[in-house]
Amino acid sequence: MVSEDEFDMQDAAAESAEDDFYSGGEEDGFDSDDADVADYEFIDNDSDDSDDLISHRYQQNYTILSEGDIRQRQDDDIMRIATVLSISKVAASILLRYYNWSVSKVHDEWFADEEKVRRAVGLLEEPVVPFPDGREMTCGICFETYPSDRLRAVVCGHAFCNSCWAGYISTAINDGPGCLMLRCPDPSCNAAVGQDMINVLTSNEDSDKYSRYFIRSYIEDNRKTKWCPAPGCDYAVDFIVGSGSYDVICRCAYSFCWNCTEEAHRPVDCGTVAKWILKNSAESENMNWILANSKPCPKCKRPIEKNQGCMHITCTPPCKFEFCWLCLGAWSDHGERTGGFYACNRYETAKQEGVYDEAEKRREMAKNSLERYTHYYERWATNQTSRQKALADLQQMQNVHLEKLSDIQCQPESQLKFIIEAWLQIVECRRVLKWTYSYGYYLPEHEHAKRLFFEYLQGEAESGLERLHQCAEKELQIYLNAEGPSKEFNEFRTKLAGLTSVTRNYFENLVRALENGLSDVDSHGACSRMASSKSLGGGSSRARAGRGKGSTSRSSGPSKNIDEPGHWSCEYCTFANIKPAAICAMCQQRR
Amino acid sequence: MASSNLPRRIIKETQRLLSEPAPGISASPSEDNMRYFNVMILGPTQSPYEGGVFKLELFLPEEYPMAAPKVRFLTKIYHPNIDKLGRICLDILKDKWSPALQIRTVLLSIQALLSAPNPDDPLSENIAKHWKTNEAEAVETAKEWTRLYASGA
Repeated sequence: MVSEDEFDMQDAAAESAEDDFYSGGEEDGFDSDDADVADYEFIDNDSDDSDDLISHRYQQNYTILSEGDIRQRQDDDIMRIATVLSISKVAASILLRYYNWSVSKVHDEWFADEEKVRRAVGLLEEPVVPFPDGREMTCGICFETYPSDRLRAVVCGHAFCNSCWAGYISTAINDGPGCLMLRCPDPSCNAAVGQDMINVLTSNEDSDKYSRYFIRSYIEDNRKTKWCPAPGCDYAVDFIVGSGSYDVICRCAYSFCWNCTEEAHRPVDCGTVAKWILKNSAESENMNWILANSKPCPKCKRPIEKNQGCMHITCTPPCKFEFCWLCLGAWSDHGERTGGFYACNRYETAKQEGVYDEAEKRREMAKNSLERYTHYYERWATNQTSRQKALADLQQMQNVHLEKLSDIQCQPESQLKFIIEAWLQIVECRRVLKWTYSYGYYLPEHEHAKRLFFEYLQGEAESGLERLHQCAEKELQIYLNAEGPSKEFNEFRTKLAGLTSVTRNYFENLVRALENGLSDVDSHGACSRMASSKSLGGGSSRARAGRGKGSTSRSSGPSKNIDEPGHWSCEYCTFANIKPAAICAMCQQRR
Repeated sequence: MASSNLPRRIIKETQRLLSEPAPGISASPSEDNMRYFNVMILGPTQSPYEGGVFKLELFLPEEYPMAAPKVRFLTKIYHPNIDKLGRICLDILKDKWSPALQIRTVLLSIQALLSAPNPDDPLSENIAKHWKTNEAEAVETAKEWTRLYASGA
């Protein structure tokens, strides 16, 4: 696990760089006018809908749908097909269901060959057999004879009694979503059974089930929509395929990858995530451990772990083979003359001749690789835990503290959104950091320059996040515990909002750099320009604007690196860059 | 044969099975359970099962006819759609079941399956592979098994 100490150490190591990197957040920067302007900017941008706080940081290439939205869309689609094709709504919904709710597919197929579609879907135009109007008939299911008013049929005319129909439909509904494609019970007939028939003959409970399957089908069978995978979440997502990032943030605040429906995992790609998740769960790690820490019994081949004692090993029954742990030879050949219970001359001799190298080496490698994996896994898992904690804190903040703070500081809650923004950013940063550990695990061992650079970026990210976290948690506490409004609260607002946007910017760039495979690091280890910043989303340009305001006043304040010869200070993140570079090495903004 | 809580449909089906049996098929209910049938199917002519008499058991579950009957071969048979426990891979016994089907139609379908094995939808992987790679040899094995296990009685 990553201990507090470790973070502290990284903090200390990065101290000097950090001072420059984050100095914009310190009290010395803003005067109150500028701070106010910056406030309004944040509020203006966020006043639309608090649910969208984080989602509009990315391009909106998806829509979150509530159950009401889904029913509305489904109804609209059915209505559209019914109108255009001049068929009943029931027939339209059968058609749409058959073609996986694709309106255009229904149009194409229908107008290409209506007859063929009708046959495939089971939408007959006229009866196959005459319905026994006014006559008695034997029901083909229960074999009882009924007058025609107690019989029923769909278009095809195959009549069955009401109670057999009810049983047939109820069985189908309780069998699962296949009930949406129900056909006439006659084995030779494929006439579709529509919702009209089903509604008349089902109990309320079955009817509810059917309607749930109906709405689920609209999401699950449709290529463009998926359910949010968060447990207990009822929202669905409509995604415009082929449009940039796969990251989706649901209205329930869960963020996930549209492509693989695992939780959001930028900067790591879906394939790596799948590999990593498999690795975390797979037996392969157990095998590695066994390989590294055990030797097979020379006789029965079962793995044996030596956790104490001498070299004289007796395998467990029924094998009971006695052997020497070092040379794996029978113990009967051992004794005082081979060096006793704690040594083996035969082993030493043979080792010098190189006999054991191969097996030893393999064991050694397995042990190293296991240790390496454990290193990354533990950090991955720690960040996961921290993220859960941060999420809980965020909720606590939204539900309890915000109101309290609003009372104490005499500020409307709408003016305190910057705190929620900060916490959302912390949660997001923990997520990114977590995945950088899986990224690091798969970064090739031999690319030393990339590894070094990666570890530097990761370290910076960690200390930056710690700083934000510290401010949002500890410093806020002062104002929460205060008796009345504090003068310094505006300064705190400025600082936290500044830290939030600086951290956001850093992490966005980190994600982009890692997604590019750190392509700016060449094999000689020189770090040339990082990725172009053209692709910045709308959200970060907002962040940029916000910070631009601050930097104007900041540059007038005292800043130790601005006039250093051979350097220029980035106006966005204040990083001290070397003179020839036109792009900031830290945040990739142009000079 | 009187059984008060037996659905009328089952009684009628049973009566018809006994009075007008399908060619090559016999099905009679057990003495102590009217939902349990002892079935015999003759191996169809011009199939590897010709000359064999195959015993099956058929059970009508509580939900019948809304649910399919359960049928199983008791006689050992070498067939790609029948496994070594006698279970049968047949669509109408599973998802294609319809309450308008009957015991008679099910048994006729099984008889047809003996005439036309379907190695592309196998239940027994090994036999299906055998069938696809060397049909002549597989047919020989099926004949052999028919002689060994299905000729006595």
